[in-house]
Amino acid sequence: MRPEDGAPVSRRRFLSLSAAGAATGAAALSGCALQVSTGVSGRGETVTVMAKPDDISPDLIRQAQKDIGVKIVTVRYDLTKLIGMMTNGNPPDLVRGVGAVDAPYFAARDVMENLDPYFARSSVLELDDLDPVNDLWRYDGRTQGKGPRYGMAKDFSQDSMFWYNTALFDQAGVDHPPELEPVTFEEWLETAKRLTRRKNGQTTVFGGSYNGVLTPNVLASLTAAAGGSLFNDDFSRIDFTTPEARKALAWYIEYGRTRVGPSIVQPDPNAWDGPTYQAGRMAMSGNGYWLGGLINADKKLAPVSRLAPAPVFQGGPRISPCQAGTGFWIPRTSRHKDAAWRVFEWFFGEAPAKGRASGGWGIPTLKSLRPLMPAQEDYQRRELTVQNAELKHFSVIAFTPYATADSLYALFNEIAPAAMNGRMSVDTLAGRLNATMNEQLKRGKEQVG
Amino acid sequence: MTADQISSVARRPAGAARKTGRVRAADRPRTSMTARRHRAFYLFTSPWIIGFLLLTVVPMAYALWLSFTTYDGISPNWRYVGLGNYSELLTDSRTWDSLGRTGLFAATSVPLSIIAGLGLAVLVNRPIKARGLFRTLLYLPAVVPPVGVGLAFKALFDQNSGAANGVLTLFGFDALGWLADPYARYVLLMSVLWAAGNIMIISLAGLQDVPRELHEAARIDGASAWRTFRSVTVPLLSPVLLFQTVTGVIASVQTIMPLLLTPDGTTAGVTALPQSNYLYMMHVFGQYFALGRYGYASALLWVLFVLILIVTGLIFRFTSGVVFYNVDPEAKK
Repeated sequence: MRPEDGAPVSRRRFLSLSAAGAATGAAALSGCALQVSTGVSGRGETVTVMAKPDDISPDLIRQAQKDIGVKIVTVRYDLTKLIGMMTNGNPPDLVRGVGAVDAPYFAARDVMENLDPYFARSSVLELDDLDPVNDLWRYDGRTQGKGPRYGMAKDFSQDSMFWYNTALFDQAGVDHPPELEPVTFEEWLETAKRLTRRKNGQTTVFGGSYNGVLTPNVLASLTAAAGGSLFNDDFSRIDFTTPEARKALAWYIEYGRTRVGPSIVQPDPNAWDGPTYQAGRMAMSGNGYWLGGLINADKKLAPVSRLAPAPVFQGGPRISPCQAGTGFWIPRTSRHKDAAWRVFEWFFGEAPAKGRASGGWGIPTLKSLRPLMPAQEDYQRRELTVQNAELKHFSVIAFTPYATADSLYALFNEIAPAAMNGRMSVDTLAGRLNATMNEQLKRGKEQVG
Repeated sequence: MTADQISSVARRPAGAARKTGRVRAADRPRTSMTARRHRAFYLFTSPWIIGFLLLTVVPMAYALWLSFTTYDGISPNWRYVGLGNYSELLTDSRTWDSLGRTGLFAATSVPLSIIAGLGLAVLVNRPIKARGLFRTLLYLPAVVPPVGVGLAFKALFDQNSGAANGVLTLFGFDALGWLADPYARYVLLMSVLWAAGNIMIISLAGLQDVPRELHEAARIDGASAWRTFRSVTVPLLSPVLLFQTVTGVIASVQTIMPLLLTPDGTTAGVTALPQSNYLYMMHVFGQYFALGRYGYASALLWVLFVLILIVTGLIFRFTSGVVFYNVDPEAKK
């Protein structure tokens, strides 16, 4: 029987309403608690991690189960698969990303979880302990490096620094670069030309490789080193015709044209510098400290390898940016955010982070882990001295949220080979890059809104 | 029931029998057999039908819908553009360039691979020693996955460390940039010929179906080996050759082999391909995965689908008079 309006509520109805209210309240409270729950272990849950095989090994997965009781299931990183999983409402719980370029792109599309509340309560990842490189994972809706944190880097390097093989320098009779003072980009290229050895149309020794992590980041870093900016203030347009960007572009095209190192017109079959440098077929490799993980594991190579500061342009500022800051982020629609955060804490602040720090594969992203960086051997101490001096020049170069680095790289690849092969002037190239890249950025801006 | 009653039921139309709910005993098994046959047909074909609907029709319809949008998979503000992507496609020079290059590639690679496969089939169809071994060895490359072929070719043809240039420099020639223009197209063709064993196997089966007495009759009539091959073997193989031409053309316009041959294996690396190997599917791949233009790339795919239909139709149309189907004419009646 339905009670009449104004009639007193029966005891049974009062009890049922009270129970419903209590249940709703409890659910709401527990919902709040679930949103931020550092201290909640996530034990017994399964977390899906989208990563590359090198990011998280089977041993680490077993260790996670033992250390924190969370089962990790990995899915190979693939942007298309990520989009598919997110569209289907079944996203991975942790996703690999390159902070320098992915953070603004995904944050602008509102698919990343704001991790500030988690960081605020974490006793493992304390804000004071975070290295500034983690600011690559911040985005305030307009600029990278400010605003909420959406992820964290697992390690980093100042990727414009370079390694060189002293034996190849000595064989070619070329002076070693100074230990703590930067060479200019022009000097670097001249040295690379002198170190390059060719025979019967084959390059037996590459003088130097300067490809960085992703070409758009390299070009943005070079432009910053020339004292300018590749993007406009709101990152909606790119301009290669400014004096600084043109200088940067001209240098990079000259690098490709002279074929002193791998480039899009002379690709390295190994797809990265490591094996070629290790084989003694590359005199200089434009990779930061992290390559030391490979070099220092090779007892023949380590003593003849040196790390040098990032080159500068004549008259330009001294900067030494990180072009990657690779790490992880949690999708906003993840179903296991607490457990994902627990894995996040463990991966970035506990045993795996300590293992990475002592292995020499990059600089730890927690200041407290710095003392673990390898310094047992003379060459390791020498590298550390150079690296520590370089940290003073660290800078964040903000990237556009309106296009993926891959898309800008693809557009560069379409046009730049003609310039590297001498069939197009740098000015024409700059104009054409502006046209195609700005079209891509315009499409992206329309879609982000 | 009397005999009259039985005969009156037998004279009733089937509908009347259904209405009364009574069916002639003789009708019952026949209807049941037909229904069972229908059921069996749909039961046996249903895995294919379901697969076809879910994995072909639905994705194609989805791609058609995508082709009318600016969707990029992740951005919130995509919109409908009607035929905008299709009209952009008409003015995109890279689309037309890649399409022309793809046509040229199909026109070259399909005849070459059929000739190579057929030639090998003729060789291993002869009574030679260790014929089985040769057949196996010649077929083996065809079972190597394309990714493996790509890796092997990249290693073989690398300018600085590849075996191909090792041989050239051994004889005093300068090394060539095989994986760059203008040589990359030849490496691509070689990678297609590498799988000629597939065509060899099918052609071999066709050759073994050619009646021996026709060859003997031709020999008795004084026909040379070449004349016998041209006038007896090839006509009888023509259905097989037609099949290989049609499937070869479809496969060649859809090939992603150039992508597997590029040293830069990243999604963005597709646009760094040598221009001669930048085929239509490379353009589609680049638009989808490097630029994130799902709508435009879907329009490109739909255009390719329609073109494949047209080309296949034209092949059937122009070969209808030259393909000889060795079937019993009475069987058609």
